[in-house]
Amino acid sequence: MWFIVARSEFLRRVRSKMFLVSTLLVPLLIVGFGVAGGAMAVAAMETGTHNVGVVDSTGRVVTRFAQTERFNVSTFPSEADVRQRLDDGRLDAYVVIPANVLDTTAVVRYVATRGAGLITQEQLRSEVNDAVRQLRLDAAGLSPEAQQLLKRTPRWEASERSGEGETASRAVAGAALGFGMGFVIYLVMLLYGQMVMMGVMEEKQHRVLEVMASSVRPFDLLMGKVLGIGAVGLVQMAVWLGAVATLGLFAGGIAGLFIDPASLNLPTGTSGDELLAASGVTMPSIGPGLVVAFLAFFLGGYLLYASLFAAVGSAVEQQQDAQSLLLPLMMPVVLSFVALQAVLTNPDGPVAQALSLVPFFSPILMPARMAATDVPAWEVIVSLALLVAAFLGAIWLSARIYRVGILSYGKKPTLRDLARWVRTA
Amino acid sequence: MPLLEVENVTKRYGAFTAVDGVSFTAQPGRIVGLLGPNGAGKTSTIRMITRITTPDEGTIRIGGEPLGPQHQRRMGYLPEERGLYRKLKVGEQLVYFGELRGLSRADARARTTRWLERLGLMDWAGKKTEELSKGMQQKVQFASALLHEPDLLILDEPFSGLDPVNAELLKTTVLEERAKGKTILFASHRMEQVEQMCDDLCLIARGRVVLAGPVREVKQRFARDVVHLEFDGDDGFLDRLAAEQAVRVVERGPGTAEVQLLDGTPPRRVLDAALGSVHELYRFSLDTPSLQDIFVRTVGETARVAGGS
Repeated sequence: MWFIVARSEFLRRVRSKMFLVSTLLVPLLIVGFGVAGGAMAVAAMETGTHNVGVVDSTGRVVTRFAQTERFNVSTFPSEADVRQRLDDGRLDAYVVIPANVLDTTAVVRYVATRGAGLITQEQLRSEVNDAVRQLRLDAAGLSPEAQQLLKRTPRWEASERSGEGETASRAVAGAALGFGMGFVIYLVMLLYGQMVMMGVMEEKQHRVLEVMASSVRPFDLLMGKVLGIGAVGLVQMAVWLGAVATLGLFAGGIAGLFIDPASLNLPTGTSGDELLAASGVTMPSIGPGLVVAFLAFFLGGYLLYASLFAAVGSAVEQQQDAQSLLLPLMMPVVLSFVALQAVLTNPDGPVAQALSLVPFFSPILMPARMAATDVPAWEVIVSLALLVAAFLGAIWLSARIYRVGILSYGKKPTLRDLARWVRTA
Repeated sequence: MPLLEVENVTKRYGAFTAVDGVSFTAQPGRIVGLLGPNGAGKTSTIRMITRITTPDEGTIRIGGEPLGPQHQRRMGYLPEERGLYRKLKVGEQLVYFGELRGLSRADARARTTRWLERLGLMDWAGKKTEELSKGMQQKVQFASALLHEPDLLILDEPFSGLDPVNAELLKTTVLEERAKGKTILFASHRMEQVEQMCDDLCLIARGRVVLAGPVREVKQRFARDVVHLEFDGDDGFLDRLAAEQAVRVVERGPGTAEVQLLDGTPPRRVLDAALGSVHELYRFSLDTPSLQDIFVRTVGETARVAGGS
């Protein structure tokens, strides 16, 4: 019987325009925002040349400025001159370099019009810094060869050893992946949990529940609804994950657009994938175990929360009335999202270990942990078993609240009312 | 043998007893009218029969067996508060409800088509339910209750809000179901409909059965103490008779009146008073009270007894 309910709930939603739009639009938006954001950042870096005035009391710093197309540098004898030109609009910014800059930690002053931007300041600052450093090194008698050596920082390659040997470190990528997965589960769990709640509420508002309750057991009704909407969530997730996987194939290429090879001391022709490797980011290897765990915890978490959301939906008539009942339900979800950072920072620590076993937290924290480190199999199994047990308890509880809730109109119920319903149903 | 037996059923909501030891039976091929004022306990009783709630005391049997989940499929329920999925198409909606009551998909589709044709809704099959008028939605709801050919049909205020043409259409359909041998429970507070359609009645007030039995028998229990009058002219005689406590005016309109004779007032006294007052008398008849009148008298008495105790 629950299957008929689930199928109807599923088809009804999958066929709606809303579903089509959100499924296709969300990945497009994410990619779109990413590309647009990157493009804008790049475009912002290349906004024309700025006229910069320099008052160089040493007379030597400005000569060491590297050639750059972004500045149109001109020197002036006194600050009064440059200030005048800035006010006239002939200069966008000026820098005053004191005479004692080479010996002490003297203050270099930078003055700009409002529109000069942050990038101009940062670039000028590194120009001045580099020039001053070189001059100081020259003064110390260092040969140009030695100076070149100083610039060369060693390349860093992180690996991790396990029973299977040595692999490229996934610490950074694993944490990022863990955060991403935790976030997706958090989002989808809340989104679809609320969808279940709205569905029940709508049935109650339009008095369909009475007809339904006269045909189907409340348990079947609840189960069918939760599973049907869960299937919608899975389909949507599959589409999104597919989009992400496709995107992952081109990650190197995309990174190449934004990472300047020179900043990593690599030749300009370096491919995107090499760039990622050089910057310490290894594309995380998503093994089948992780995918299965991700889906299992997502499903378990969704089922747990959705059945409780359904109970809330059956108890109230309007969404405003649901707020006070939702608070205790939302708290663990939000808390586990907050804990996600801490867990990923130290995925093998006792806090991470403990929290990823607790049913209300594990759906978000366990897959995230698994992405970041190797979690012992027993922990995963215990965590999953506890989650299933919690879900069974929740749906039992909800079916009881539901039985009474669907026929309760008028008064806005409190948590205490719900507890009474559970006892009397 | 009755298909539905309700025996000493009681339902309490907190301190409030909504249904208090109610018993009645419903036979195949007959329509039972479950009557009572608003809040009498009709819907609470129906909810226990449909297994939406469970009785605190008493038993309900279907075909001699204690009521169980397997019996829900043998029932068709039209609730007083109509409920349909507003976003579903009319056809989809009916197929879904049919499947929930155990029909196969193909069967549910075939029957949906048949019912939509019968109720003149074929053109609306592909429309979303929210686009339909209230009356049309009610017909859809009605079809959903009958789609799976239930043995027991439970109709809670089935004609409220329908125009006369559609009310007549549904009435004919209900009578056809009776002819097929279905058991029908018809809850209403509209007496004239019950009088026309029901074979048996069960009058509930304040959660208790106050009057039950075949309609004809119940009416026979009441003496022929109602006088109907049609006339031209002054109707002041009605006020005088009422002031003398000889009659109770049940209804009065321009040139018509229905009065109840009180405490053995002879009909002749009314006739004499009328002839002494009106220009012309077209009708004078002594009848049994209407169900509406019986209802008011019985419920009024219970109310008085309950209020006095």
